[in-house]
Amino acid sequence: MALPLKYNFRNVIVRWRSTLATVLGIALVVAVFVLLRALARGIEASSANTGDARNILVVRKGSQAESGSIVTREHFRTIQYLDEIARNERGEPIISAELVLIVSAPRRNGTGEANTLIRGVTPRGMELRPQVKLVDGRWFVPGKREVVVARRLAARFAGFEIGGVIKSGQDRLAVVGHFDAAGSAFDSESWMDADEARSIFDRENYSSILLRPADATAATNLITRLERDKRLALRAEREVDYYSKQTMTAVPIKILAGLLGTAMSIGAVFAAMNTMYASVASRTREVGTLRVLGYSRRAIVLCFLIEGALLAAMGGVVGCLLALPLNGYATGTMDFQSFAETVFQFRVTPDLMLMGLAFSVIIGVAGSLLPALRAARLPVIVALKSI
Amino acid sequence: MIIATFIAKNALRNKRRAALTILSVAVSCALLVTLLTLQREMTIPPESEAASLRVIARNKVSLAQPLPAKQLAVIDKIPGIVAVSPFSFFGGNFREETVTSFAQFAVDPARFQNIIVEGKIAEGSYDNFIKDRNSCLVGADTLKRYGLKVGDQMRFTGTFYPANLDLRIAAVYQGTVDDRNVFFHHKLLDELLGDPGTVGTWYLRVESADVANDVIARVNKAFENTSAEVRAETERAFQMSFMSMLGNVKVLIGSISTVVVFTLVLVTVSTMSMAIRERFRELAILKALGFRRRELFSFILAESFGLAALGAFVGIGGAWAFWTFLDLQTLTRGFLVYFEVTPRIMATGATVAALLGLFSAIAPSIAVARMSVVKGLKTLD
Repeated sequence: MALPLKYNFRNVIVRWRSTLATVLGIALVVAVFVLLRALARGIEASSANTGDARNILVVRKGSQAESGSIVTREHFRTIQYLDEIARNERGEPIISAELVLIVSAPRRNGTGEANTLIRGVTPRGMELRPQVKLVDGRWFVPGKREVVVARRLAARFAGFEIGGVIKSGQDRLAVVGHFDAAGSAFDSESWMDADEARSIFDRENYSSILLRPADATAATNLITRLERDKRLALRAEREVDYYSKQTMTAVPIKILAGLLGTAMSIGAVFAAMNTMYASVASRTREVGTLRVLGYSRRAIVLCFLIEGALLAAMGGVVGCLLALPLNGYATGTMDFQSFAETVFQFRVTPDLMLMGLAFSVIIGVAGSLLPALRAARLPVIVALKSI
Repeated sequence: MIIATFIAKNALRNKRRAALTILSVAVSCALLVTLLTLQREMTIPPESEAASLRVIARNKVSLAQPLPAKQLAVIDKIPGIVAVSPFSFFGGNFREETVTSFAQFAVDPARFQNIIVEGKIAEGSYDNFIKDRNSCLVGADTLKRYGLKVGDQMRFTGTFYPANLDLRIAAVYQGTVDDRNVFFHHKLLDELLGDPGTVGTWYLRVESADVANDVIARVNKAFENTSAEVRAETERAFQMSFMSMLGNVKVLIGSISTVVVFTLVLVTVSTMSMAIRERFRELAILKALGFRRRELFSFILAESFGLAALGAFVGIGGAWAFWTFLDLQTLTRGFLVYFEVTPRIMATGATVAALLGLFSAIAPSIAVARMSVVKGLKTLD
């Protein structure tokens, strides 16, 4: 027969001082673990949110990011009139040759400069990305050296507010609007006219081509066709597939989360063990009494394991609550593929919190296993005699 | 000596608890030292005397924007410069690798020789490198990591440039702060790209540290109001700016370190309180025998300080040994070369541990000071 849970719960409450210290300790470990995972989750989410399953992105074979890709004008001319590409109501092919550039800009908080991405887009390119919506100001007018900036990016860089100026060498680009890209990778970009960008930045070629095939069969055909054409040396893939691979930046953060989680949990296991040993030691007589009353050794082990798990789970809950306020907090770091600032948000999702909770219970059980076994092994007579 | 023995016996009376406390302090100290080192490595690039004489000039727009090759003629005329070479990051993936695990730069070998002066040729000869347009100069670390030797071919798939490289190893260098890079002929790159007339950056060495700032100003001024304005800065400043692009990572590591310290305090304070509460009766007897509060406090302090110090010794020493004797480069696959636990960082860790010992003695001492002897003698727990 198992001991009632109430017994464990009351015991945890009655020793509130050591309980509090252990709970807080475990809470901090869980909070750090959950937050780091939330950070990695945020980076992955911004990639996962990007792209339309119907679109195809064409980049140079071998390039890892759009900013390092080159698509020549001849390539564009070749691809532009392929039959597989869908046409809009005016009969124009839905294809956009774009230029992705890196411009260094000063941070708003005065901690130096960082790279930002500027995308030269075309009207077709904007139609292909309906998740990008203007939230403030107006769109750029080609030929007037105007740029529209992602609102989230504008919060991080000086001069990115409406009416501000982005300096690029001798050129000045006026910021005329802010857009919101619904948490996608475009939230780290500034947009301007593609041909104007080519002339200002002195680029003969484009970086990438985004297009919409007529249907699913056309999409598959187009991908194989471009893949096979050795003269082009281009790689075509679904836009969503391309972005799902742009998550290299999350890898070191995940590794850090794993390492820190492990190291800190070892410390937390020691702390939990200490508390549980003390708990067992001060209850030696109680344990003896329980044995006399007929509770089996197994029941005693289970009882202390449950108590340790309960203690740790309380820590886990507190830890998740500590991490929760940071959900949605926007931050940024350098993307390892484009070498430009990428803006993303902490994502403390329910499954991450569940993971944190499970993590805390594991700490609790690991920490209370040895003390529980010790309690169960106490000879009844000796236990009853102890004070 | 009697008092010292008394304290030591008390501390080790509950051996299991003492061991657990020492171990948890040790784990936390090791973690703290590791985090501080990581933060240092990420914010301060390794320093070298030769690096302070080197200047990197990039396009003012950004590092990714190329510079016209014809700028060389102008830079050559600027006084105070010993040598200048084009310096273009190739960003190729070695063999079948999918990430750029070490850097390759296109340089002018004859000019470059006078720029990395601290590098020593370990194998092969620099002259062979100059003579053969399809050869390369490889860092000793990379050579060792892949088990290569002079005469081997190295194949790279270009990720930034639409070109692939196939280079023969002509010489091996070592003795610079980063012995991982591969250098090859800029002429080869030009050829592969169809002579675009551009370079990535300019790499130059100045006569002395005194003139460095003047040279930087002169280089910047020389290209003002041209179509390719230049931003020159010392190699160190350049690396710092690269690291500052990592943004909030530094703050992140800083806050994690704080949390670790806080957890450490919690654990030790709780253990000390447990140890003292268990001993209330004895302490009451000591009080009754005539020991004063001050003396009782010093007993408790010595005990908690001793435990914290032992934990710190194990943790900090362990972390130092781990990071010093570990072959980091093989383990992190070339991501980390230097992970130096400096004396300063160890001192920080030790200070935290010392404060911890002091801090965790306070709460139990107050409890002991407040207790009345009669009540203390009655305590059972």
